[in-house]
Amino acid sequence: MKRFNILALVVFIVAVGGLFALGPGGTQKVQSTFLGIISPFLKTGSELEKKITAVRGGLKTLNQLETENKQLFVRNKELQAVNSTLRDLESENNRLRRALKYRERAVFRLVPARIIARDSSTWWNTVRIDRGFEDGIESDMPVLTEDGLVGKTTTVARNMSTVLLISDENCKAAASIEGTREQGIASGERISTSGIPLIGMRVLSKMANLQPGQKIYTSGVGGVYPSGVFIGAVKEFKVRELDSYATIVPAVDLTTLEDVFVVLGNK
Amino acid sequence: MIAFFFVLLAVSFVSLVIQQFIPPLEFLHHARVFLMPLVLFYGALALPYGLMLALAFGCGLMWDAMSAQILDIKVAGMMTSTVEIALGWSILVYATLGSVMSGFRPLFKRGRWEIHCLMSGVCTSLIVLAEFLMLSVRRAALDHSAFVFTPEIGWRIGGAGLIALFLAPIAFWILSTLADLVGYNPRAAVKEEDS
Repeated sequence: MKRFNILALVVFIVAVGGLFALGPGGTQKVQSTFLGIISPFLKTGSELEKKITAVRGGLKTLNQLETENKQLFVRNKELQAVNSTLRDLESENNRLRRALKYRERAVFRLVPARIIARDSSTWWNTVRIDRGFEDGIESDMPVLTEDGLVGKTTTVARNMSTVLLISDENCKAAASIEGTREQGIASGERISTSGIPLIGMRVLSKMANLQPGQKIYTSGVGGVYPSGVFIGAVKEFKVRELDSYATIVPAVDLTTLEDVFVVLGNK
Repeated sequence: MIAFFFVLLAVSFVSLVIQQFIPPLEFLHHARVFLMPLVLFYGALALPYGLMLALAFGCGLMWDAMSAQILDIKVAGMMTSTVEIALGWSILVYATLGSVMSGFRPLFKRGRWEIHCLMSGVCTSLIVLAEFLMLSVRRAALDHSAFVFTPEIGWRIGGAGLIALFLAPIAFWILSTLADLVGYNPRAAVKEEDS
């Protein structure tokens, strides 16, 4: 082996060793920096993709109307999301007031965001949104739409963030089932055998006896997700040796998702 | 040679960006299209070993920076952050497969372009398989989940390789054209190294 190659190998080993020594904090910094570098390219690519799709669909709109339409669309989605959240909170409030006289919960502060890229990896379900810490976003913030839960933020760069989708095995949310006192943990499946990403609900009691179509909501336990956010509906229910397991169809169509809202906190 | 190395690094970055906009292929059980490994494996044939390692480092770092998952887990009642597959693992996988590919340089020197095509298919599948094994081991250690291997997983691993197999000749032609444009002759460089 030539001297240059030996030197290159030594430098390579030292550099890789240095990367391995990085903790989660260091990794997050590297990721955040790289996302900052790549975000203009992803945004441009996303715009280009949209234009190509629009041309392909034969859509011809005036710039002004398009801008106005976009603004109204975002506003409409935001209002729908707030509305949906209000409905959930209203029913939750009524229930809690009657039972425990809990104080009225405030509605969320939402930041609208657009999905600019989807993860190209095989094993992880993430998307990138065009909002970052400049917009007040931090890691572990819930992401939702007017239809229900989408996931949570992980790595946050200046004007881009990564959202771990609820269909990912690593995204876990404490959940409760409509009309029962059953609680469980909802998280994605490593590989979905059907075309659409599904969610699994674990740690259910053997007595749960869930029916297809029953709705699953976040329970608020764990601190990341607020309670009452719609996760999805039961598709299948299986009793296992020690517990039972439910397959859930996500409330949000995660494959065609374009606009989401990041929950910054309560109003 | 150095100029071509930087060209390959830039092309790797561009291919990583393009990859983000290619949806999974339904007819191949949602297997993904990977473009960056095609560039890396071309580099493994066209560049000397030292520069291949540098390219593997660049590609692996970019891939890890895009896909590394930082998780919050509870250890002894305390919440702590952990990285699912640490930065650097992809670099090691890329460098190992790049080293294997480097071993085929004598065939490349003799003009056997199909080596890039075949090996890109095999190595791309091996990359996806390595990722799957790493995360399976990691998740088993964290939450004691069982090792699962379904036909669907097999398709995702094999499908990625099949796609790479079909795309490799196009990538080979584009990268060879770029080498010509920067005045680098990979085959002549291999011959020079040997002599």
